[in-house]
Order: sequence, then structure tokens, then C-alpha cells
Amino acid sequence: MYEKSVTITAKHGIHTRPAALLVKEARTYDCDVLVECNGKQASAKSLFKLQTLGLYHGMTVKVLADGPQAEQAVEKVSELLITLS
Amino acid sequence: MSTSGIVVSSGIAFGQSRILHQHSTELDYQLLPLSKVKAEQIKLSHAIEQVLQLLQSGLHRLEADCDNYQLIEADILLLEDEELTHQLLTSIGEQQFTASVAVKRVFAQQANQMLAMEDPYLANRAEDVLCLGSRLIAAINGSIEHDLENLTYPTILLATDLTPAEFATLPLDKINGIVLKTGGLTSHTAILARSAGIPALLSCDFDEALTNNQQIALDALSGYLHINPDQEVINRLERIGSEDKLRKSRLQKFKDLPTETRDKHQVSLLANVGSLSEISHLSDVGADGIGLFRTEFMLMNASQMPSEDVQYGLYCDAVQLLDGKTFTIRTFDIGADKELPCLSLPQEVNPALGFRGARYSLVHTDLLKSQLKAILRAANHGPIRLMFPMINQVEELDLLFKMIEECKTELIDEERGFGELSYGIVVETPSAVLNLASMLPLLDFISIGTNDLTQYAMAADRTNPDLTKIYPSLSPSILKLIKMTIDTAKEANIPVSLCGELASNPLVAPILIGMGIDELSVNLNSLLELKSTICNNELAAYIKCSEEALLIQRIDELNHYVSHCY
Repeated sequence: MYEKSVTITAKHGIHTRPAALLVKEARTYDCDVLVECNGKQASAKSLFKLQTLGLYHGMTVKVLADGPQAEQAVEKVSELLITLS
Repeated sequence: MSTSGIVVSSGIAFGQSRILHQHSTELDYQLLPLSKVKAEQIKLSHAIEQVLQLLQSGLHRLEADCDNYQLIEADILLLEDEELTHQLLTSIGEQQFTASVAVKRVFAQQANQMLAMEDPYLANRAEDVLCLGSRLIAAINGSIEHDLENLTYPTILLATDLTPAEFATLPLDKINGIVLKTGGLTSHTAILARSAGIPALLSCDFDEALTNNQQIALDALSGYLHINPDQEVINRLERIGSEDKLRKSRLQKFKDLPTETRDKHQVSLLANVGSLSEISHLSDVGADGIGLFRTEFMLMNASQMPSEDVQYGLYCDAVQLLDGKTFTIRTFDIGADKELPCLSLPQEVNPALGFRGARYSLVHTDLLKSQLKAILRAANHGPIRLMFPMINQVEELDLLFKMIEECKTELIDEERGFGELSYGIVVETPSAVLNLASMLPLLDFISIGTNDLTQYAMAADRTNPDLTKIYPSLSPSILKLIKMTIDTAKEANIPVSLCGELASNPLVAPILIGMGIDELSVNLNSLLELKSTICNNELAAYIKCSEEALLIQRIDELNHYVSHCY
């Protein structure tokens, strides 16, 4: 299990459009990638789930992955969480 | 027969009616026999596949990376989502719901979870999720639209609702106008129709009995849908329509140009607005933002005072529509001179000189606080400038800033997010001009309100036409007051805006720019005309005009000068 915590800087948080970009990226990895926020967990590959996490500006989010390329997946998804707006 | 609606994209259009969405979103509530579960799950998968295909084909017609493209992509990602399909299939398999009921429940639950987060952005997306659900149900019921390709020009499309995804699949070259029963100004369809330049009327409750292939005249200037109009209406609308087209095309080239003089001096050209509806038209006229949002307009017809949350929603919608452009809110400018059903204002002998503007707000602190808190919260979603009306002296600002600090403390206690604001005042009394230097250290900008400045400088009631004839805004004394204000502000490096009627006059605006005004804020209808004037001349000429104008001592000479100075 590999994990990393980041803080969302996008002014409007990670709403549908940035979330869709994140999902597309996460789906390119074979391993399971999870996003944890507000005490809730969701697969980073599911827009359906991500939309209801409440990924607002200023929230601290934990990204976790297990399996092949877990480290790369976590790094990439964390980077997107910080840079997307 | 005619029905009214909200204009979200302006113009006049004629065509044949075509009703979209006659497809059925009825739900089949029977408990599924176990033997049919498998077949129902397959039916669902087929429906998902069908909607996916429609979305994909819509995607091909769009440029990648445009907003609409990304929203359709989001719809596609949702339909491909294994979590979603899993929930749908389980709902059919274990609870023995039919496919349509399963979709309804799962999508409604998703939308509710998104709405529960009280984020205005997500609230709009929740709408999109529900629309996608309805579309899926229509596909399950076997009644999804296929034949839009066969539309004939010109068509006026009528529907209950239209998702961005559906909009993308429309053959826009065949469609002259769009009418929807639902939808607001911030809805994506509104934004898309505007950017496509298709006249559109939303929230228009047209007759259920309307059928395809009727004659439709769409008046998306005044906001009316005419079904089978008589010749008189057609003639009138044709005339208005061609005038509108001519005016638009003449001024159109200025819409996307920066507001700058020939020698590249930039001026910010902003709009005075009183409603969200007007804000939605900003890009139609090439405005750089809002220089004056008259918040008291939302009280005019309200039977009760809008709560902090209602105001917050409204300011958030505005922030969203503006997308980072200048957004200047003026706090409630109310007092005994305006009749408001939701407030019982005391009678005053001399209302214009009484408790109005910030004076009223400083006495009725509950009202001001709910507004300040709503604005502070909305500033968390985008930049907002706040200005106070009827400020005379720095003591008033001390009290207002103290109240802002109190509001922030309360918001922290309530664990609500808020953003920082820029602060300004409306300079509209001679005293404000004279006291300006003492107030500027507290401010980020100022805006000159010439209508009231004239009234108070001349001691002449602005509502009395006999007096305004004798004391017009364009007069030597008012120009001197404006000049004093600009010079004082420039010394402190504070930008100066001007939001009175004087700015709308294309003959006067050049003089104001020559005097050093940084921003002009005018009504939407005057904006493009003014922009074309500004763009057609050089700053050097404006400066010369303003210097000469300031030397003129008589009103009639001044009027003559401005109409001949360039």
C-alpha cells in the first residue's frame, strides 16, 4: 500500500470537469486507486463516487493505491489533485 | 397566442415548431419476477450502450477542450462507470426493480448526495446527472430521439429541458431558435445557446397541446413566444429583427476587441446591472465585468427580505457567470425614497437627505450583516469588489469595517468558508469628494456616482424634471468635482470608476477618459456603442478635449464643445 496526502488548491474544488480528467488518468493504471476525504473513500476510477466526496478548496485528501505501479499512480493522481482547477 | 419567458440569448427567429423529448420517461413500478431479472439487466445494458453511442457521436462534432466537450465526456465517464453499473444491476437483481425504476433511484440518490453538499457548482452538475438519468430511462422505454438529423430549416426547437449533452447532438445549422420550459440563466443550455448565437427563451411555459410543424415567431428581445402569429405580429417582429441584426453586426466587431484607444490606452468597460438576467448578457455586449450590481433590485418585488443563504446563492450564480471578471456589488442602497414591500420604511420629510444608502444600513445592522456575510461567503468562489453608497466621511467607513470584522468572526464560528473582498465607496456627495484623501487609505477603488453627485452638489431633486433641465450632469461644476476626485485618487494610486448616466453618453465618455478615469460602468444597451467610440480615437485627443472642456464656464458652451471636440 502506497499513500500520500495533498491539499486541494483549485478555487472551486475538484468538481465534475476536473474530476473527469482525474478519472481518465486513474483508469490508465491497473492498480486500485482510492481517494479519501471527509472520512469517505471512493475509487479514483469512479466519477460516480468522486462527485459525492466533497473535494473542496482547502480540503486535505489522502490518495492510496495497492498493486502494480501503485507509487506512480498515487503520485500522478496527487499531482492532478493539486494542479487541476 | 403568446407565452412569455426569460431571454437567455437575444434575437428574433421564425420557424416551424419541433417538439423534442416527447419520449417517455414513465416508470414501470412492477416487481420483477426473478425469471425476468436477467432480461431486464440486458435491457439496461443496451440502453446504456445506446445513450453512450449518441454521446460519442455528439462528441465528434465538437472541438476538444471546449466546456461542452468536457461535460459530455463527464456524462460518458459516468455511464461507463463500473460502480454505477454495479449499483444499477444490483438494484434490478436483488431488489427486483425494473430497469427504469433502478435508474431513477440510483440517479436521484446520486443527485441528492451532490445537492447535500450545498456547493452551487455541484448543484448544477446534480441537474445534469438527473437529465442523464431521464435520457437513460427514455432509452430503456425505447423512445429516444434518433431523427433530429432529418430536421428541416428553419426549426424552432421546443422542449421541457435540454442537457448540454443533448445540445451538442443538435444539428444547429437547422435550428433558428430554442424554447425550454425549464432552465435558468446559469444553466448550461443558456450559456451554450448564447455562444452559438441562437435566440433562446427559457422558463417558457408553452402550451402542452402545441404540436410539430406550427408557425412560430420567437421574440427573444422582449421575451415572447408567438404560436401561429398574425401578419401584424410577423411584420412587426421582422422589422425589429432586421434592425437588431443591423445594429448587432455594425457593433459586433467590437465585442471581442479589448476596450482600448487607437494608441493602446486600456479602459475597463463595465456594466451596471440589477439582476442575474442582465449579468448573463455581459458577453453579448463585450463587457469587461460589472461596475455596479444594484442589490436593492432583488428587494423591489420581494414580499420578504431574502435570507443570507438566498443572497449567497444569487451572488454565487453571479460569480459563476462572471468567471473571474470584475464583479462590483453595491450594498443595499435603500432609504425612504424607495418603496419596498418587504421593509417598512419610515416616512421622512426629505427622503433624499435622510436615512438612505450606508446610513440606513448602519442603523439596520441585521439587514447589512446578512448581506455582508452572503457576499463574504460568495467571495470564496471568485473575486468580488464591494462598495458602499452614500458615504460622506471616514467615520462611516470605520463603522462598516468594524461590522465586516464581526461578520468574519461569526462566519469562522459557524465554520463557513469565505474570501477576501476589495473595498470601495460610491463618491456621490460633495463631502465625499472633499474628504476623499482621509478615506482612500482604507479603500482599493472608488466609483463616482454622477447622478446623485449632481443632485447633492446642485441641491436639486433629481426626480424633478424641471430642475434637471436647469441642472444637468454635464456642467462645469460637476466636471470640476470629477476632476478633483480623480486627482486625489491618482495621488493615492487608487483606480477610479464612474457609474453614472454621464458615462453612457458617447460624447462625454472621451472627456472622462481624458481626465484619467480607469473604468466606465454603463447600462448594457449603451455598452457596445460606447466601446466603438472609445476604440475609434486616441488618448492624446481625449486628454486635449478634457483640458479644454475643464476651462469652459457655461453649460451651453460645454454642450456645444463636446459635440464638436473630435
